[in-house]
Amino acid sequence: MKDAVLVIGAGVAGMTAAIELADSNIETVLIDRLPTAGGNALDLYKAFPTDDCFYCFEGSRSRPGIRKCFYRSALIDQPNLHLRTDTEVAEISGSPGSFTVKLTVGPRYVDSRKCILCGLCLELSNAFEQISPQCQPQAVIYRPDLLDDGAKKAESDCPTKAINLNAEPTEETVNITDIVLATGYHEMQPINVDEYSYGKHPNIITQLELAKILDPNGESGGALLRPSDGAQVKNMMMIQCVGSRDENYYAYCSKICCVFALKHAKIVSSERNGIGITVVYMDMRTYDRHERYYRETRDSGVRFLRGRLHLIDPREDGTLDVTVYDSLLNKYLRHNIDLLVLSSALEPPESNDGIIQLLDVQMRSGFIGPSDPFSENEVVAGDHLYVCGSATGPTEVPESVTQARAVVSKILQGRRS
Amino acid sequence: MSDAEEQTGPPITLVEPIDVSKLDSEFRKTIRSMPNGEELMACFACSTCTAACPIANQWDYKPHQLIRMILLGMRDDVLSSKEIWECLTCFQCQERCPQKVRVTDIFFDCKNLAAEEGMIPDNIIGLARELAEKGQLYVVTADWEREDLGLEPEVPGLSANGIREILKTTRTNKIVGGES
Ligand SMILES: Cc1cc2nc3c(=O)[nH]c(=O)nc-3n(C[C@H](O)[C@H](O)[C@H](O)COP(=O)(O)OP(=O)(O)OC[C@H]3O[C@@H](n4cnc5c(N)ncnc54)[C@H](O)[C@@H]3O)c2cc1C
Ligand code: SF4
Ligand code: SF4
Ligand code: SF4
Ligand code: SF4
Repeated sequence: MKDAVLVIGAGVAGMTAAIELADSNIETVLIDRLPTAGGNALDLYKAFPTDDCFYCFEGSRSRPGIRKCFYRSALIDQPNLHLRTDTEVAEISGSPGSFTVKLTVGPRYVDSRKCILCGLCLELSNAFEQISPQCQPQAVIYRPDLLDDGAKKAESDCPTKAINLNAEPTEETVNITDIVLATGYHEMQPINVDEYSYGKHPNIITQLELAKILDPNGESGGALLRPSDGAQVKNMMMIQCVGSRDENYYAYCSKICCVFALKHAKIVSSERNGIGITVVYMDMRTYDRHERYYRETRDSGVRFLRGRLHLIDPREDGTLDVTVYDSLLNKYLRHNIDLLVLSSALEPPESNDGIIQLLDVQMRSGFIGPSDPFSENEVVAGDHLYVCGSATGPTEVPESVTQARAVVSKILQGRRS
Repeated sequence: MSDAEEQTGPPITLVEPIDVSKLDSEFRKTIRSMPNGEELMACFACSTCTAACPIANQWDYKPHQLIRMILLGMRDDVLSSKEIWECLTCFQCQERCPQKVRVTDIFFDCKNLAAEEGMIPDNIIGLARELAEKGQLYVVTADWEREDLGLEPEVPGLSANGIREILKTTRTNKIVGGES
């Protein structure tokens, strides 16, 4: 591997940067600390602004096919692209333009090139799991803490001998010219925001959790069921700006939660018939073309309520009595609902701290900022250092992709001169 | 304060909320299906209508609140409100609404619904009676102003009889207690 580029984080942004670099004949190492590529967008079902599916991979034996997606072939077959999942950066030395990077690669319990997703191990043991139908590489993962006899049987019975329960972590050292930070975001778990009772009642969830429920590939096949008892949801409520625009948590606006709340509200009101839905907001911020979601959801019967939560009162039957102050009417309204969805802040991933220590990059509210805050080069985080996607702060997919392409363009320009 | 320690439910507050499940969720559908109600649901509560209204500062319920109450299903409060009857029908709200909600027309719809249910303020009934009885609201009197302007004492050719006959067959007559 000569003059390689390292991309840290295999979400939409990292994958796009890596694929386009590799397509431009540049050796590229794409790492993710999780066992699958895809990042936060793995379980998002439909995506604004096109209402398309996020990652459509070819069908396999264990699930019906959707359609072929370019990510799959690129991540597996592109010879310049070296995907390393379960992998983290241990050490960075050298100087910009010729870094030496030591990677810790997690144990390869399942060889993803051999696994054919036959499902045998999944039947034999709970230690095996297919994280998402859209996971990439298309292989099961193994959780060593759940080792049982079934897992051992799977190891010997696997038709392609893909399983090795005794695998050890390895180290790999790579020579790197440029580093691309695509470490993304994390959805805040709002346990500390007391008034919302998150974590205290099963029917109070976040938007990312709702996305998983609505995903037709998910457990309930996309039916909107109450987490507490699997009963059909009849009435639900969303609350915006939980932990965002709040000096006690994150002072910034998470920018995209209004739009994905509307996207979810639209899916619920137009595809899951008969579910009443109220969205409680302080401001609806639908930038750019996304205003259409707002109008369409109103038209489809979603109720919008400007105000804030007053009180949550859980009932014995699993429902919640939620009282909200309506600041436009100057009245308090009590709703009986089955599901409360919190639009929780999008925060920097904890792992950013380590990277910020390893590399001398600028922080911007915990995310990675441009090295020169006054320049137009949002994606230049330092000398031979680049950043794209939600690693810069909350971004939608099209914006993440645009930034990834800007990074590729910068690296190509750098090599030409 | 050992009581406070034992308390497990939500804190007790003095708020007495409106129970949304007791409201009429069909009301917005009714209004939406009436003439000019199509855009009702597009309202995003910006309050431009109230800002435009020349009289709303006198009202307990402002135009944007009335629209909001319709959307919520506060049927009785809207239909029994004095505001829908005090509206000057100047159409300023409707002209300026950024979502093309026909606010004034919707208030007309509300008045029609209220009338169907006999919820008409007395002064409005008085006007209707005047109209039904006289065939006109403002009777022209022969006075010095007409004389000064060189006009005949009576409006030439005016006959309110035709109007009176027509009104007998309309709901206006019913409202004032006549037969139709
Ligand atoms: C509920 C919800 C709905 C959404 N819906 C839409 C939508 O409809 N349309 C749209 O455009 N956008 C949507 N988004 C936004 C979308 O999720 C993001 O734009 C997109 O996922 C950002 O991709 P990314 O690659 O920048 O970051 P991420 O997806 O966060 O990927 C970052 C990756 O980096 C890895 N990583 C982090 N740190 C390290 C490290 N130190 N070492 C190795 N790997 C690391 C992580 O494991 C992760 O895989 C939605 C978001 C939410 C929360
Ligand atoms: S048994 Fe082997 S091939 Fe089949 S899903 Fe498990 S690891 Fe993959
Ligand atoms: S995007 Fe909307 S919900 Fe998210 S922080 Fe901003 S205003 Fe609040
Ligand atoms: S101006 Fe139109 S959109 Fe704004 S509050 Fe009034 S009716 Fe609603
Ligand atoms: S039509 Fe009625 S509600 Fe609208 S601005 Fe005029 S007086 Fe106000």
